[in-house]
Amino acid sequence: MSAEIQTFREKYDLLGCIQCGRCTGGCPVTVRANLNVRQFVNDAYDESKLDELAKIADIWDCTACHTCAVRCPKGLKPLEVLIGLRTLIIESGKVEPTVRDALQSVLLEGNPWEKSRAARSDWMEGLDVRIAEPGVPVENLFFVCCTIAYDRRVQAIAKNMVKIMNKAGIDYAFIDENESCCGSEVFTLGEEGLFEMLIEDNTEFLNGYTANQIVTLSPHCFTTYNAHYPDLKSKVIHYTQLLDQLITDGRLSYSGELQKKVVFHDPCYLGKQGGIYDEPRRLLQKIEGVELLEFERRRERSLCCEGGGGKMWVESESKKERLAETRIKDAKELGADIVAVACPFCVLTLEDAMKNLGYEEEMRVSEIMELLGELFNDPEA
Amino acid sequence: MKTIVCIKYVPDTSEAVVKVNPDGKSVDSSRFSFDINDADNYAVEESVLIKEKSGGEVTVLSIGPKQSDVMIRMAMAKGCDRAVRIEDERMALHDPVIVARILAAAAGKQEFDLILTGCMANDDGHMSTGVALAEELGVNHASMVKKLEVLDGRVRAHRELEGGLLEVVELELPAVVTIQTGINEPRYAPIRGIREAQKKELLVSNLDDLGLDAALVDEEASLVVLEELYIPEVVSTAEIIEGEPDEKAEKLASILVKGGLV
Repeated sequence: MSAEIQTFREKYDLLGCIQCGRCTGGCPVTVRANLNVRQFVNDAYDESKLDELAKIADIWDCTACHTCAVRCPKGLKPLEVLIGLRTLIIESGKVEPTVRDALQSVLLEGNPWEKSRAARSDWMEGLDVRIAEPGVPVENLFFVCCTIAYDRRVQAIAKNMVKIMNKAGIDYAFIDENESCCGSEVFTLGEEGLFEMLIEDNTEFLNGYTANQIVTLSPHCFTTYNAHYPDLKSKVIHYTQLLDQLITDGRLSYSGELQKKVVFHDPCYLGKQGGIYDEPRRLLQKIEGVELLEFERRRERSLCCEGGGGKMWVESESKKERLAETRIKDAKELGADIVAVACPFCVLTLEDAMKNLGYEEEMRVSEIMELLGELFNDPEA
Repeated sequence: MKTIVCIKYVPDTSEAVVKVNPDGKSVDSSRFSFDINDADNYAVEESVLIKEKSGGEVTVLSIGPKQSDVMIRMAMAKGCDRAVRIEDERMALHDPVIVARILAAAAGKQEFDLILTGCMANDDGHMSTGVALAEELGVNHASMVKKLEVLDGRVRAHRELEGGLLEVVELELPAVVTIQTGINEPRYAPIRGIREAQKKELLVSNLDDLGLDAALVDEEASLVVLEELYIPEVVSTAEIIEGEPDEKAEKLASILVKGGLV
């Protein structure tokens, strides 16, 4: 037992923490929950306390936004201490039914949404999609993401990408229904064993393709592949990087216009975790007519929408205003017509908040791919 | 307490489009996802809770293909000790009495005090296998159980009846109890537990291993003859009743009477 706890301490470098408090000072969920990550890092020193700490409901409030990791002067990742504590609960099996069902669905069907694997490519129906074949070289291999593949609200991200790639004549291919979850949420929910299995299986699966680069449509997959898959042959980029590069190289252009005030919400997994801030903004600025606004809390300080960290399956006990609602109110105050995002989870949480607030008539939440898709649908474009 | 828990590997048809195969007697399952039957999952949890509280051991019994091993390993990861999976092409599994006969033969090869099954299968919805199993074994049974207490040599079962009534019965062991969903909260089987469960015994048996004469459980023996599967035709017969409230009521009453519905 002590060897195992020693591992916990070493694993998260708990003795490296100087208790400066920059983690808690930046943690966005503290305004609506009691979570105090510094205290957990401190208390986890005590080996005998781990099981007790893991039972505190606060550990499930973390959205894995990585603000604490970005701010830590010692380069630690305080949030991962919370994930480590979640692992203790997961391994006991006594988890919320929603978490249980999501994780079991990843194991059995390769996605956390309890959908059949056979239906993973159904979004492609009626589209002229090029499908990747193992061993056949391709410049851009698209990795769709479970949420985009199954959730009709965000399928447009993938559908529009197909249309744009076809129109621009780019060498690309999508993976068929054999694509499996990258494990982003499996990792943050603390199912370490399943995540290790996914890393092993996905590495072998993706290395079977001969791709110059893998392009993810979700920043969650983007960050997860870059942070946790050391043996992938191909580099992994986010689609905003690809489109930005294609425009720079003169291989892609769009000519429609959008006379709107647009504010860009930095997704945590793209910005704070992926370091991608400028590419999505450039894509929006290239749209004629767009007036790009900025949130006061932007880039590294962007306010989390609470969609990550497994929070899609764990409801907070707090009844205080959701961060997504705070974000939408801020957007309204700025006078934005559109809140643009580059993440399927952000679309779902922010749109939900917008509807709850009753702002549907005045503004909308759109993924950048939805806005670009509208330009490409324009016959004038 | 020696417990046997019977589990079934079933398709999730909640969202998939169900298509009948050209033979008219089977369903195209190529696009279905499969998992443990809902009520059986609760039965597994109950068996593990009993073991945790009162000691003993749990054996999983299942009739199904090799693909269902993952479901069995998950049950073992949760705390079941061993398993027997029965696979044989000669079985007429659309007849719940035959299913019960096969399970009884397998159970008869084990020592047991208590057998738990789910109260109903998601796929065929017969709700009869557990009760038929008790009959085959000649032991007591209680169905649709929402709460189960283990006593000395007996169990007290709280049965859910129609109209929201609960009936409390005590059964001498050995007995079969069919578990209703909601009796507990099934736990998660972590992958490390599933890997660990690979070390536990999973015996694959056919009818010969069970010492069961195929003639007792094959198509010929089945009292249920599967004639045809079809998707019911959707027809629209909605009628909007117009008029003042008293006229509407009169017309509605007249329709109900004519249709023999009141």
